[in-house]
Amino acid sequence: MQVSTDVGIWVGALGTLAIFSFLYRENPVFRLAEHVLVGVSAGYYLVQYAYSGLVKKFWYPLTSEHNYWLVFGGILGAMMFLKLNRRTRSWGNIPVAFYVATGAGYLIPSVMKSMVLLQVEGTIQNPFAEGRTIGEAATVLVILAGVVCTLVYFYFSARREGVVRHVSRAGILFLLAGFGATFGYTVMGRITLLIGRFQFLLRDWLGVGG
Amino acid sequence: MSAGAGERLARLDRRLIFLLMGLVVLVPLLVPIDLPVVVSEETRDFYREIESLSDGAVLMLAVDYEPDTMAELDPMTLAVLRHAFRRGVRVVALSLYPGAPGIAQRLLTRAAGEYGMTYGEDYVYLGYNPDWSGTMLRLGESIRATYPKDQWGTATRDLPLMAGVDSYEDVDLLVSINGSKYAEYWAAYAQARYGQRMVSGNTAVMAVFIYHYYNTGQISGFLAGIRGAAEYEKLVGLPGDGTIAMGSQSCGHLLIVILIVLGNAGYLAARRRGTGGRA
Repeated sequence: MQVSTDVGIWVGALGTLAIFSFLYRENPVFRLAEHVLVGVSAGYYLVQYAYSGLVKKFWYPLTSEHNYWLVFGGILGAMMFLKLNRRTRSWGNIPVAFYVATGAGYLIPSVMKSMVLLQVEGTIQNPFAEGRTIGEAATVLVILAGVVCTLVYFYFSARREGVVRHVSRAGILFLLAGFGATFGYTVMGRITLLIGRFQFLLRDWLGVGG
Repeated sequence: MSAGAGERLARLDRRLIFLLMGLVVLVPLLVPIDLPVVVSEETRDFYREIESLSDGAVLMLAVDYEPDTMAELDPMTLAVLRHAFRRGVRVVALSLYPGAPGIAQRLLTRAAGEYGMTYGEDYVYLGYNPDWSGTMLRLGESIRATYPKDQWGTATRDLPLMAGVDSYEDVDLLVSINGSKYAEYWAAYAQARYGQRMVSGNTAVMAVFIYHYYNTGQISGFLAGIRGAAEYEKLVGLPGDGTIAMGSQSCGHLLIVILIVLGNAGYLAARRRGTGGRA
């Protein structure tokens, strides 16, 4: 066991213990750690965004490379602040409209292909296609049935009776299975965060373990 | 279970559960448990993609996560870097999250040091770039224009590795390690738009959303949370934090299952007695 002499590690370790103290009950030490975390994070992000966006992407290219096209973007960016004042608010809509229009223009084709068309193609597949194993065919059928049943469950313009009722109930089962899988993965993720903190306290702070 | 026992269980002090969880996670870290790791097909595909890269191939590594998900994703990033460097694959790393540069630098320096890699020739770190969607698209046109300088201010065109690498066409595989929906966006903007082959490493919470993209072939393989990291470490043959965490992970899961069963039994017993009960 070799306790760390690094000030940063000590700050991290004491901060971790302070946050853990909330598990016992709300207390001033937890509050202090929480406020320090929020303050430090806000400061870090402000500097990172300002440096990466304003300095690296705007000021340097404008002054050292004389890329004067950036003035156009700079004016549009500055106009965003006009939305803060009631009298100038409508002028602030111009950069927003520009941003929405260009964003939609260059993002929609890719999103449509990846998140809609290819997903539909992936859902409706031939389970009996050549070369498929029985397991793969079953997977294809389960995916198709799951999508259809879930869509029927969310179709509210038909009465829940007869076939619609049964299919809709099957849709609920598929949804529950999905929620269960998500919950299981969430538990795994949260336990990993705890493991990460313990590893930090044991290995980096107290010098226990490999 | 009797109704009395059910009520007592329902009124159990939650701090006792926190303490129990803390102990079952802590003890296996102090006394490691060697549990078998069964490799899933998606992890095997992830491994195959990197294993298929030849000496000198270019791997673009997007380190898109911040300190809150380091415990899950650091083992993946480190294993990918070790795997790539061991095979002589060159790495172009970048980040689209403002909190990522510190993490990426630490892991790159560590893995490069282990394999004697030289900055600028074997690997580069381009740093953080704002506007994630624009960056993902623009990298398909010109990496050097999107990132004129690397993280330390060196002109990208002056880095030997970047001399022949300027768009997705020059990248053999994209690896996105992320704790958000970035894998889906890389799939939309780099894979669907430019045909860039890609794999991803995700937090467990996000893994359920990746199956759609894996199923449609947009993402060729993926790692799901710490389990995926442990599986990948096993395939690479370099056990790391992912493998170490599996003992605590399994004990934690067992406790959760026991608590869910007991909680439901207690709830049902209390309800049968007609006294309600907290679920």
